[in-house]
Amino acid sequence: MQDLRPIFVVSGWVLTLLAAAMAIPAVVDAVHADPNWRIFAASAGVSALLGLLLIAANRTRGKIDLSTRQMFLLTVAGWLSAAVAGSLPFAFSGLHLSAADAFFEAVSGVTATGSTVLRGLDHLPPGILLWRALLQWLGGAGFLVVSVLVLPNLSVGGMQLFRLESSATLADRVMGRAVKVARGLLLVYLLFTLLLTLLYWAAGMSRFPALLHAMSTISCGGFSTMDASIGSWRKPAIDWVALGGMVVAGAPFVIWLQLGQRRWRQALGNPQLRWYLGLLLLSMLAIGLWMLLTHGIKPLPAIRHGAFVAASVMTGTGFATLDWGSWDGLPVAVLFFLSFVGGCAGSTAGGLKIFRLQILYTSAQVQLTRLLRPNSVLVPSYEKKPVDSDVRESVLGFLFVYTLSFAVLSMLLGMVGLDFMSAITAAGSALANLGPGLTAATGPMAGYAPQPDAVKWLLSLAMLLGRLEIFTVLVLFIPDFWKH
Amino acid sequence: MPDIRPVLYVTGYLLLILAAAMLLPMSLDLVRSQGEWPAFLASAMTGAFVGLALINGNRPGGEFHLRTREAFLLTILGWLTCCLLGALPFAFGSQHLRAASAIFESVSGLTTTGATVLSGLDHAPRAILLWRALLNWLGGVGIIITAVTMLPILRIGGMQMFRMESSDKTEKVKPRISQVGWHMLGVYALFTLFLWGGLLIAGMSPFDALCHAMSSISTGGFSTSDQSLGRYGDGARWVCVLGMIVGGATFSLFIAPWRRGHWAILRDSQIRWYLMTMAFFSLLLTFWNWAVRDMGAYDALRSSTFNVVAVLTTTGFHTNDYDSWGGFAEIVFFMMAFVGGCTGSTAGGIKIFRYEVLFAMVRKHARKLLHPTGVFVVSFNEMAVNDVVMRSVLSFVMFYFFSFAGLSVALTMTGLDAMTSLSASAAAMGNVGPGLGPLIGPGGTYAPLSDAAKWLLSGGMLLGRLEVATFLVQLTPGFWRE
Repeated sequence: MQDLRPIFVVSGWVLTLLAAAMAIPAVVDAVHADPNWRIFAASAGVSALLGLLLIAANRTRGKIDLSTRQMFLLTVAGWLSAAVAGSLPFAFSGLHLSAADAFFEAVSGVTATGSTVLRGLDHLPPGILLWRALLQWLGGAGFLVVSVLVLPNLSVGGMQLFRLESSATLADRVMGRAVKVARGLLLVYLLFTLLLTLLYWAAGMSRFPALLHAMSTISCGGFSTMDASIGSWRKPAIDWVALGGMVVAGAPFVIWLQLGQRRWRQALGNPQLRWYLGLLLLSMLAIGLWMLLTHGIKPLPAIRHGAFVAASVMTGTGFATLDWGSWDGLPVAVLFFLSFVGGCAGSTAGGLKIFRLQILYTSAQVQLTRLLRPNSVLVPSYEKKPVDSDVRESVLGFLFVYTLSFAVLSMLLGMVGLDFMSAITAAGSALANLGPGLTAATGPMAGYAPQPDAVKWLLSLAMLLGRLEIFTVLVLFIPDFWKH
Repeated sequence: MPDIRPVLYVTGYLLLILAAAMLLPMSLDLVRSQGEWPAFLASAMTGAFVGLALINGNRPGGEFHLRTREAFLLTILGWLTCCLLGALPFAFGSQHLRAASAIFESVSGLTTTGATVLSGLDHAPRAILLWRALLNWLGGVGIIITAVTMLPILRIGGMQMFRMESSDKTEKVKPRISQVGWHMLGVYALFTLFLWGGLLIAGMSPFDALCHAMSSISTGGFSTSDQSLGRYGDGARWVCVLGMIVGGATFSLFIAPWRRGHWAILRDSQIRWYLMTMAFFSLLLTFWNWAVRDMGAYDALRSSTFNVVAVLTTTGFHTNDYDSWGGFAEIVFFMMAFVGGCTGSTAGGIKIFRYEVLFAMVRKHARKLLHPTGVFVVSFNEMAVNDVVMRSVLSFVMFYFFSFAGLSVALTMTGLDAMTSLSASAAAMGNVGPGLGPLIGPGGTYAPLSDAAKWLLSGGMLLGRLEVATFLVQLTPGFWRE
């Protein structure tokens, strides 16, 4: 049996942090003289109380030394408690949301997915809108930290490639250079949020939505303040800012640190970057051309919309300038597969991640050569370093489990009533933390509000699974995990 | 540069066999005089002429050996030329199919896919129906021979696990064929006869029974009726279910009793998983049809089992329009197209064996997460799966999914909607046959698709049948060098 106390302590800290975050929308609502501030105050009180209780009851003396298993538990527990605390304001609010709705919205926020059950966003009180953006922003920041500090050490799905140093004990590793890097990444994250706010504002948004959109752009979240998302402004400049922000958010954040230290070659030579931009460009062109040929619009807007959709889907943001849910044919197939690809590791994007496809590619390349020369000794390499079989197997295991979860999830969604295309695109989209599906019923303009509760629970589960890279959750279900 | 002469020489023989097979529908037509015989005669003569020319022009002096490269080339070239030849009767005959459609039909036959562009089958000339069944049947023979002799040597997709135990040492093609191939063909023919008998007893006419026996043992799926098995009674359906299950099982296990003196089939883990998968999905859909769609219990069991087995063994028969069973059923049928039967059978798809390896690997990774320093072994049938096999399984699965994705996107470019494209691509790669949606779902045909889509799908069927990498390796520059 594991020592659960450190896990409760960390969950307690997460709850307390969220309670502190709830103070912000409470203040905003209070300033706007909106009675909704009481909801946030109440929610903050509840989660702060719960959090502090957890911390006080489970505090241990001395330094906490976490085992691998505790790290798994802790990651899952952290996200779950954030989702639960995050759903309180939705549940208490006057929006008449069921438990499934509130939980769905909060999970969609903390996993930076961006599917919503709320309609009429344009008329919602500012506090709720701010809370949604904050959830995504905190979720994105949390994921950045976890993907630097936790996942590499847990070796989830080949993430051990990104291990920064190899000291003997886990605690040493966590406390070393990794912490410094994580701090740097958070700074980059914060700076980009500010920059994007300014740019959105300069492009014609007013200050409040500019801040909110900046937060949900940099986190690859996708919550908007309007039902028609970015498209409701009808300003090309805003589209371009959002596009740029999404591309940045899906690229590895570490390149900005390297640029800051003037290590140009290292930053621009980032192995994931070239594939990421290449794939992105290719799909942007495909969809842009398709729009040009079938929609009869001018080249520049066609390219703009095409590029926007491709970036939004690939990075798992889910913004929309137009209703791509009502398309059929070529773009649906392209976007469906693109949603599986996802962004780069070390970013806030979801999906399979570029580096896994690269590992897959080099292994396959070696395999093809080996078919012709069975006795040759070839080793797949990544970043000019050989990829050992452990990494390869964990990457491939991850890809398989991801596909399998997708298959099971789409069947379950079909069972509770979605049609074929809605089910498979919604399943793929939730796992990749994208949000909208690719049909009219699940698309970016539809929202998930009309769907039955079962669909919402299933999708919430999928979003959490996708964000925690599946294996983190899966190991908890191995009986061995709980034995000693 | 591979030596092309022995390749052409063997290809010549393959064409001769196919040309000889054309004489069967021709004689049938001469008896029934439905006016198809000139087409078959002309096609047979073309095949015989080209075949003899290839044989005589490339006869090697003395013994010849096929090296790895030639084996690759032979596998591709053999299948391609046979597909071309098989298309001729459709083009020359009363069907007057265009090139794209004729070749689609022939590829679909020989790869035992069972997707068709023909409708009005119930009134089609018997010779054409027999030819389609023959294509299925011969394609089944072809893939068993390829799977036994070629793929293990070529090390495609982990097939090296299946080098026959007795002939482990030999790398040569000819001894393998003579050792194992004949036994397997005997078993194949025997099963066809059994099925024919079974279908006759179940009340089919002799001709229909023969055609369906041939296309169920080969997991092909061409039928003599537009309604597929929906036209026939309960007995015929259950006999076909049995035939498909046998067709999708590893054939070498059936010859094991008298070759090795024990019933390996009872202990083979692949067969066990194969049957369990089929039972699971059949019961799942039975339950769905019974509980949600208010079918009667027996009715639900009957239609679910039949259609699940037809898709899982990649046969492609159908009794109902399962497309109308709702979103859940559609998704299940879509996913099942990726599963497929056992290795060394006539079924297509990714195959149970590879899933076993994948699951074993996931289990290993999950354990490794808990015990980072532990050493774990992936095993199959109580044998350790070595690194090389595992890698080839993985690259197979990767190539498969990437081809599926590429093919679906290409299909949407021909103007098809997403659902049709995705399901057509999956059904072609897995050699299943019918897709989903009003166009190509069960009951529909591929006739309304554009020529470009038919060419693409023909490519997809061949790609799936020859396990993808056989193709890809020929695209690498290294293949043609030296």
